[in-house]
Amino acid sequence: MNGASIETMLRAAGCAALAFALLIVPAMFPDFLVYQFSVALTYAIAILGLNLLMGFNGQISVAQGVFFAVGAYTTAIFMTRYGMNYLLTLPIAVLTASILGLLVGIPALRWQGLPLAFITFGLAVLGPPLALKLEPITKGATGISMIKPAVPSWFSGNQDTFLYTLCLLGFALSALFVWRLTRGDTGRSLRAARDSDLIAESLGVHLTKVRLAAFVTCSGMAGFAGGLFAIVNGFVSPESFQMTKSFDFLVGSIVGGITSISGSLIGALLIVFLPDWAADMNIALSGLIYGAVLVVMMLIARDGVMGLLSTLLTALRTRIIATRATATADDRLSGRRIQI
Amino acid sequence: MTIRSFAKLTLVPDMQLFLQQIVEGLASGAIYASLAIALVLIYRATRIVNFAQGEMATLSAYFAWQLNQWGMPFWLSLIIVAAVSFVMGALVFRLIMRPVLGASDNTMVVVCIGLFVGFEAVALWFWGADPHAFPRIFPDYAWTIGGVRLTANNLGILATLCLLTVGLSALFRYTRIGLAMRASAAEREKSPLVGIPVENMLMLGWGLAATVGFIAAALIAPSLFLSPPMMVSVVIYALAAATLGGWDSLAGAIVGGLVVGIAESLCATFIGFIGTDLKVGVPFALMAIVLLARPQGLFGTSAVIRA
Repeated sequence: MNGASIETMLRAAGCAALAFALLIVPAMFPDFLVYQFSVALTYAIAILGLNLLMGFNGQISVAQGVFFAVGAYTTAIFMTRYGMNYLLTLPIAVLTASILGLLVGIPALRWQGLPLAFITFGLAVLGPPLALKLEPITKGATGISMIKPAVPSWFSGNQDTFLYTLCLLGFALSALFVWRLTRGDTGRSLRAARDSDLIAESLGVHLTKVRLAAFVTCSGMAGFAGGLFAIVNGFVSPESFQMTKSFDFLVGSIVGGITSISGSLIGALLIVFLPDWAADMNIALSGLIYGAVLVVMMLIARDGVMGLLSTLLTALRTRIIATRATATADDRLSGRRIQI
Repeated sequence: MTIRSFAKLTLVPDMQLFLQQIVEGLASGAIYASLAIALVLIYRATRIVNFAQGEMATLSAYFAWQLNQWGMPFWLSLIIVAAVSFVMGALVFRLIMRPVLGASDNTMVVVCIGLFVGFEAVALWFWGADPHAFPRIFPDYAWTIGGVRLTANNLGILATLCLLTVGLSALFRYTRIGLAMRASAAEREKSPLVGIPVENMLMLGWGLAATVGFIAAALIAPSLFLSPPMMVSVVIYALAAATLGGWDSLAGAIVGGLVVGIAESLCATFIGFIGTDLKVGVPFALMAIVLLARPQGLFGTSAVIRA
């Protein structure tokens, strides 16, 4: 057996363990924790979108929280005002967030890099006061509450378990989507646009198109995540979508590793559970940790936790190959013995 | 009563309001311009857009407030903290930015957002979320000229901006250090060949920017009240000002700041929907328009890339 197949096996085992862990969550934890895990799954979807943009396409958005909020409000409004089925609101949430992404992306993409950061940073600051101001639509500071969907009769389990399952399905779908998108020709064009404009363009990649598509997809995924969040939470208000939410998603993406799919879960769990845990000591502690995490990860581990794991795996593989190579060399040195 | 005199009656107060808003806009614009100067100083030196500039300045303002609370004369605390801010800026460069110099824009953005979150958390940790009153630097005095109120505070802010501009221009134009700083910013690889300690010069740029940022914070703190997120929206104004001015020009940052200040003040007064809550949308819109129409800004030079 060679090193590469060991790595593949380890990866597969890791994925299987992760899937198993995600499946047994409702059985292992009390209802409130199951709810928090559901929220973490919705965050993970938004982070996945960010990973697609930052990790695979080399662009940046610090306004993922705004697109998340747009999705959440869309779902909330269509559920309460038009009495629409909660599942049917999700495509609309994706659509509205994508349209906003398109509007933001077109001007910002004319000048790559920093302008996109300015515009999205501005959007992150502007989002919360706008949600307050558009009171006829968003009901201002009061927020919109909706009835959480009833558990269907075929489902054996309580409401929290049902919503968790819903989020898990949503996450699995998004992970599959990103996995599919980052492989094959689409993935190659995305990464080519990230690694070298010139080479990508000369190989026939339409840079603006690819970048805009990536940005819109990233926003759309945030919209999907936001819609799910609204369903799970049963309530949306500007309180849930402050400027810091956008930075939270950035932290989640960086911590898990921007080119990792499973890393998005690690990042999401961190941003759900760390503030709760840190607030017991000091309300400023989570901010301090987030800030430190962003800076330190950039200085020492740009590929995040999953990147570190991957480096370890590669190191392991090289060692195995090296051992085998030494063994072969030994055999060749004592060639006489083989020739007998 | 003729139509003309009627028109005159309604126009006069509006004109006064208009002029008054321009004066207010110039004063706040001068503050945005100061922060924009800090951003441009750093961008010129290291090609980094320091999103955390405002949060660093807020922390400095807290230092000054604390020293003053402990009984130090206000002017003395301002001078001491100006020096402390310089050291803080230099340290941030030395410890955090230097290792990532030359990395991609995205890496820099993430590091700066990290600093943004971190510095805000530090202020929250030590001083809590409750806003504090910050003493006024200039006396409470006002003149009324033709129905327009000119306060000593507004004039003082504008005078500070003038002093700052003259001082920085003189530094860059007439001193050896200024020349060395310009050289390090323009040619990071070649400057060491003529004996310029480039990294020290870049560090100096970061220190200067932190001091200038502190001045902006000390000017705006009396009207905004001192709180950890005080400068969050001011940074957007400064980003818009620097974008308008073109990122590599001090004059551009100043003009940009004043334009943003006036536009904000006029839009907030005369466009009902915007009001005080959505004022921050004005610089955002300006920034978007400039990026769309003239990405190199009004005063900037467009980079020509040879493929």
